Amino acid sequence: MMRRVAALAALLCAVAATSGCSTIGVKPWQRDLLAKPEMQLDADPLDAAIDEHVYFSKEASSGGRGFGGGGCGCN
Amino acid sequence: MQLKKPGSVPTALMAASCALLGASTAKADDSYESDDWQVDSALLYYKEDQQRVQAIEPVVSLKRDFGDDRSLGVKLTYDSLSGGSPNGALPSHSPQTFATPSGASLQAPSGEPQTYTTSSGRVVALLEKVTLYTTEPGQLPLDPNFHDQRVAFSTSWQQRLGEQMRLSVGGDLSHEQDFMSAGLNAALARDFNNKNTTLSFGTNLEADAIRPIGGAPVGGTDYTQLQKGGNESKTVGGVLFGVTQVLSRRWLAQLNYSYDASHGYQTDPYKLLSVIDAGGNAVGYRFENRPDNRTRQSVFLENKLALGRDVLDLSLRHMKDNWGIKSQTADLRYRLELGNAMYIEPHARYYKQNAASFYNLYLNAADPAPDVMSADPRLGAFDAMTYGLKLGMTLADKSEVSIRLEQYRQNARDVPAAFGQLQGLDLNPGLKSFIFQVGWRFSF
Repeated sequence: MMRRVAALAALLCAVAATSGCSTIGVKPWQRDLLAKPEMQLDADPLDAAIDEHVYFSKEASSGGRGFGGGGCGCN
Repeated sequence: MQLKKPGSVPTALMAASCALLGASTAKADDSYESDDWQVDSALLYYKEDQQRVQAIEPVVSLKRDFGDDRSLGVKLTYDSLSGGSPNGALPSHSPQTFATPSGASLQAPSGEPQTYTTSSGRVVALLEKVTLYTTEPGQLPLDPNFHDQRVAFSTSWQQRLGEQMRLSVGGDLSHEQDFMSAGLNAALARDFNNKNTTLSFGTNLEADAIRPIGGAPVGGTDYTQLQKGGNESKTVGGVLFGVTQVLSRRWLAQLNYSYDASHGYQTDPYKLLSVIDAGGNAVGYRFENRPDNRTRQSVFLENKLALGRDVLDLSLRHMKDNWGIKSQTADLRYRLELGNAMYIEPHARYYKQNAASFYNLYLNAADPAPDVMSADPRLGAFDAMTYGLKLGMTLADKSEVSIRLEQYRQNARDVPAAFGQLQGLDLNPGLKSFIFQVGWRFSF
């Protein structure tokens, strides 16, 4: 399963990096909504960091969005 | 050039500004220089039910833009933790007595450590001074003396490399009474297709020093012997590949694949397993023992959708590791603009994991002890739900204040049926906790 997902991700990257995606997206003057602070992927970095820390210390999974950092010897 | 959906003059002006500033795919227009430091701060209060862990955590993050996509960020976090932490043993109808690690000493009464060599060639000490605590009948065994403080510092620098690439490098340090961590990370991102597509690659390296209070127990040994060694260490290395894609004027998506490998001491030095006989009686305890190697892979997909003035954020994650754990996470936030510069953001999160291959709620006295073992509920099978609500408001001076309240609940799955003396006991009560957070963003 994981290999298939990784292969799909690699394929998406390859497609996106070539002209296949040139028709997807917007023109520079159509970025009004995308430029809003709340539309950024890291719109609330402290909320994300706090959530990551709480779930890291209570669950067996972490990360995915990016690198955590700092680690902890959480009980 | 023809504007297809100009909307209004202000919209067209904003669009033209964005074009001139060359706003990047995943970021707002960061390319101007600012004389101000942007401050993002929060105070978190976290509390678990049944007098378990509570934490108070202030966080301050500062960022300054130097123009041309160059920016510096620093973040300082402080954690104060206290309360009772489950030690891994099962509840019982009889009182159970345990030794707290904070009361243990490697020094024998004579002043000289009493050490000996185990069959595996490891030098350990036999502890003689301990402090005891007793768990009442029917209660989940908690070490009531859990106190810790954590200070974490991280910094990052971002800059442009040529026209299309961005580089970010960072480092972090974290310190607790019994744990230290240092890490470095670096990432490259390149834009394609008029900045509608961004490919990124990142890597990180982390080194941890584990210095358990009273020494690190010899994993899997009889708890009553209190065999303990010295300090331990662990290293973590990881890579992350990501693609960010603008799918439409209202839709931004990111897909990440990450892989990390940990090597070294991954056992929780304060966790035990009960040894249960055929009648359901606890006849002993063992220190837990986890494998030294762990590799994890995850796929993470995040979507941001602009719906009118509102924003929907949906992220999904699938993770698996070589300990036999698989997990699925779905996280949904909806930022609803209320007008008057206020918004409300409901949040729901669902998480599900299965158990690690070496997880056991208890050990069977009749069976030989396994090499690796843990009864830590965090490695067991459970579902978890989070419900939350955030309220934010932008003030006249452009600063923003927010409050957030969330409830988190874990429900154990696949709990073995209680038998004999275990009947009538809640063998895995799960977890319920509350998060209260206030935030303040401003510039100076």
